[in-house]
Amino acid sequence: MNAKQVVSWIVRLGLGGLFMLAGVLKLKDPSKFALEISNYQLVTFGTSFMAALLPPVEIVAGAALVVLPRVWRQAAAFVILLMVVMFSVAVSTAYFRGINIDCGCFGGAASPITGLTLVRNAALLCASLLCLKLDATPPRLFTASPSPFKK
Amino acid sequence: MVGLLIRAGLLASLGVVAGLLFNTIRPDGVSLGSAPPAAACQLTAVSARTVERLTPSQANHLCGNPNVLIADARSAESFAKGHVAGAVHLPCAAPQGVAQGVPDLLSSHSTVVVYGETTGEALAVAEGLVRRNGSSNTALRVAVLEGGFSAWELAGFACASGPCVECADGKNGELIWPGPSTTGGKP
Repeated sequence: MNAKQVVSWIVRLGLGGLFMLAGVLKLKDPSKFALEISNYQLVTFGTSFMAALLPPVEIVAGAALVVLPRVWRQAAAFVILLMVVMFSVAVSTAYFRGINIDCGCFGGAASPITGLTLVRNAALLCASLLCLKLDATPPRLFTASPSPFKK
Repeated sequence: MVGLLIRAGLLASLGVVAGLLFNTIRPDGVSLGSAPPAAACQLTAVSARTVERLTPSQANHLCGNPNVLIADARSAESFAKGHVAGAVHLPCAAPQGVAQGVPDLLSSHSTVVVYGETTGEALAVAEGLVRRNGSSNTALRVAVLEGGFSAWELAGFACASGPCVECADGKNGELIWPGPSTTGGKP
């Protein structure tokens, strides 16, 4: 196992594990999660749908990033990237509008939106981009060697 | 790239289907088909000259709607300590400049929700709004938040802190809403 594969494993485990954990925590109380979504004041309808559907998508994408083969891991990293972008936009607008609400990032755990939340989201964005890049090229099993028939 | 998008779509679809199934079978799942309608829709048959009373939950459904104005009738100090996110400051003892700017502000909204420390404090301001603007803006719906700001906080809905950036000049707290006598306030 080379250094690139070690980095890939660490990032995948960290990012996938974090999304699975976040999804499970949000699933525990979907009504509270729906309230947290509506508190962002970005959408006036569909919060119940988002509260019911987002956590399972997080869990599926997180699990796929950890256990599935490379092509599916890349797709999972892409799904996670889209979710991180969406979360970052929501958190940033709340932060810059000065709305004092819970982030809702990990279900019921009270976590107000601060500058650190934005930094964490930026780190998650980098991690998902890294996963996408690391899984973009197949691992090279055989090294090219000069043909024995060539002089 | 197409393969990546298809696989990503399949993964997301798997999560969506799992979410729908899980939400259906769990006893405490959220209601997807019978979401409470926005309170604005329930107010259509009500005369513009009456003041509605909204629960925090009903008022929360109006938040983020560009046609709805949330007005805080408490003191500037209380407003700065914490207020309903997106609310503007409209105290009971508003100076003349504010009073002149209010009709212009309300003309761009179909509903105004007033809240105070108590329901009574908000009612005083709301009834004043109906009296002053009822004849010129008959379509305007005026409502108060039942239980005041404490009920809103207790329900866990969104709050913000700091002075009113949309209506204060930032120097001495004087309200300068847009209107005939404004001096540069933003709507």
